[in-house]
Amino acid sequence: MATEVYRESFERRTKTVRYIRLLEGLADTQVGPIYLGMWGALAFFSYLLCVFITAIGFGEQVGYNPIRFLRELPVLTLYPPPPSQGLRMAPLQEGGYWQLATLFLTLTLVFWTIRIWTRAVANGLRPMVPIAFSAALFLYAAIYIIHPIWVNSWNEAPPHGLRGILLWTNHFSVKYGNFYYNPFHMVSIFALLGSTVILAMHGATILATLAYGAHREIDEIEDSDEGTHRAQLLWRWVMGFNATAYSIHQWALGFATLVAVAGAIGVLLSGPVEPDWFQWGCRAGIVPGLQKACVP
Amino acid sequence: MSSIENDSAPPGAVAVYDEKQRSILRGELAGLVALTILALGGVIAVSMALTDWRAFQGFRAESAYNYAGIQQVDYVEYLRRNKQVLAQPSAEALQAYSAWQQRNPQTVNVQVLTQYLGPEYSSTAKVFEYMSKYFTPGVGQSCEYCHNLENFAAYDKPQKTTAKAMLIMQFELQNKWISTIPRPEGQPLYQLQCATCHYGQAQFWNSVDKNNPTLANLEKFGIAGGGNPTQYDMKHYGITLNGKPPASYEIVDDRLLAVRPDAKGEVNYFQVTATKDTPPGLNDTYRNQAAMYHMNVALNVGCDFCHYGGYFKSYVLEDGTFKWPKSQSRHMIGMIQDIAINWFPQMPKVDPARGDLAQPNCWMCHRGNVVPPGAYLPAASEVPQKVSDPQIRPLVDLSLPAPKLPLK
Repeated sequence: MATEVYRESFERRTKTVRYIRLLEGLADTQVGPIYLGMWGALAFFSYLLCVFITAIGFGEQVGYNPIRFLRELPVLTLYPPPPSQGLRMAPLQEGGYWQLATLFLTLTLVFWTIRIWTRAVANGLRPMVPIAFSAALFLYAAIYIIHPIWVNSWNEAPPHGLRGILLWTNHFSVKYGNFYYNPFHMVSIFALLGSTVILAMHGATILATLAYGAHREIDEIEDSDEGTHRAQLLWRWVMGFNATAYSIHQWALGFATLVAVAGAIGVLLSGPVEPDWFQWGCRAGIVPGLQKACVP
Repeated sequence: MSSIENDSAPPGAVAVYDEKQRSILRGELAGLVALTILALGGVIAVSMALTDWRAFQGFRAESAYNYAGIQQVDYVEYLRRNKQVLAQPSAEALQAYSAWQQRNPQTVNVQVLTQYLGPEYSSTAKVFEYMSKYFTPGVGQSCEYCHNLENFAAYDKPQKTTAKAMLIMQFELQNKWISTIPRPEGQPLYQLQCATCHYGQAQFWNSVDKNNPTLANLEKFGIAGGGNPTQYDMKHYGITLNGKPPASYEIVDDRLLAVRPDAKGEVNYFQVTATKDTPPGLNDTYRNQAAMYHMNVALNVGCDFCHYGGYFKSYVLEDGTFKWPKSQSRHMIGMIQDIAINWFPQMPKVDPARGDLAQPNCWMCHRGNVVPPGAYLPAASEVPQKVSDPQIRPLVDLSLPAPKLPLK
């Protein structure tokens, strides 16, 4: 009974859905209704504050000239405080803008995670999406908050800006002796490439079953299992095994989560635990062909 | 079940699409084409927008390094590319020299050339040969720029006093730094000359221009390219000069001058890779990278010209090949410090209004080349000998860094 009531409610709610059709059958999108709620509102306003503070910081650098702002946007950067400031609140011009922008960016991400959680529960779903999002949030926190606090300097955190984040990526790797030799970075990249492969396999497999109703998933499930069956058969023919329609999503979520979690651990260990990952590789014996380069 | 699954689908059982499915297929094909165009076009458009196209065309990252036979851009060709011509003594100067030489076949008051190059430079003709070969093309001026044409021996022009001091500096730097540069067997030993820094311009490297960080001056002092820090960067890295954020090259100067050899001659000018004792923060990494970008621009090379890309700290590649350029650039930074600390402060000024001589850097001589086009392979009689009593002495005793050589 409860299920029937819920199903009726679901059908009533989805009557308001609108379709956006681009390029005929490509990237069909359903739009609305959207739910704002308290957490959504908090996330929205927190993000507005973050953007506003960043814009003020950038604006000061170009004398609030909109032409210069647009022209120099790729190199405009909000930097964290210098090392001499440690973890103190810095003056606005010397990293204070970065601290405020980062504070509100962090709040935005936390509020957004709570928002997804509450909406998932309200929709009768397991909170797998916010759990998955938390992995990305953990990586963010490791880079922007936990690692800087551990080494007692906000200066280790990435700046805000297009060029600034690229420079940070390079500098962080160079300072810690080449991040490619960080074993957690290795795992993270393995999972990143694995996620890409799994996503591509899954996407391509579903598209391949178009002739058997992949564009009518509900009908397909109710009427016959031809599309799903053939998709799974394809992989059994090719690889000897296949994921089921449910377990493919377990694989995908697992790999995607591992990217962020392993990456975060790799960042956290850099410095306090291992200051030079290449030398770690030398000690671990994982660079046997490069031993001559191990002696600086 | 398994036997059925192992059978191929019967003809006609696959790819029978209704109108809706054909519509989706057309959309996917259009999307594929659109994404390809966007991706390729976007990359090309962004690259062209962000790249100085002329500089890009001229760029050649020399990661492959022929140790024994470096290709040097010819000096005349370098001048031509920069819309300059090789200077020659004027007709008036030649006429005056001819008269002077007839009156004085032996030199009058020539001191530095005889001291460093030997007694054969007591001949006026030999000195003229040296002057017209190196001085005139090097600084882009005829004899009368420094000399009184009535009396070539006189010191009544400040330019001559400066030129004499510069010549002593040139020979001293040659003997201390260039002759001792770590180099593989067979690599030629070039020589400093006026042209190595001057490139046909008498006055070109002064603090007045450098303190005015326009884009043209940034390029003139060898700081150009997207990798270099902006004044915004400097401001937010808490680096100020006279209360203002300094220009990029001042960061390069700061790094090039920051470290000296210790008592054992050991030195690490750019401590980038962390150790257990490295203080937190990325500012030092940032400043060091700025100096490294400067070297990229100054020598027109990529990072792997000097470094093993897998581990920047190492002096050898993964196969054990020794990276001589890293060892050599380490040595050359020592020379830059020597010039800045010991020599430039002593150089007499021709035109005080142009300020002090600016801090030397890699670009001053290299100008986008591995071997400076203004460097020379000297004749045997042009190699300076060491002298015990130079007329100008270094202000402080700056020791040579212990050379980094391949491990036996």
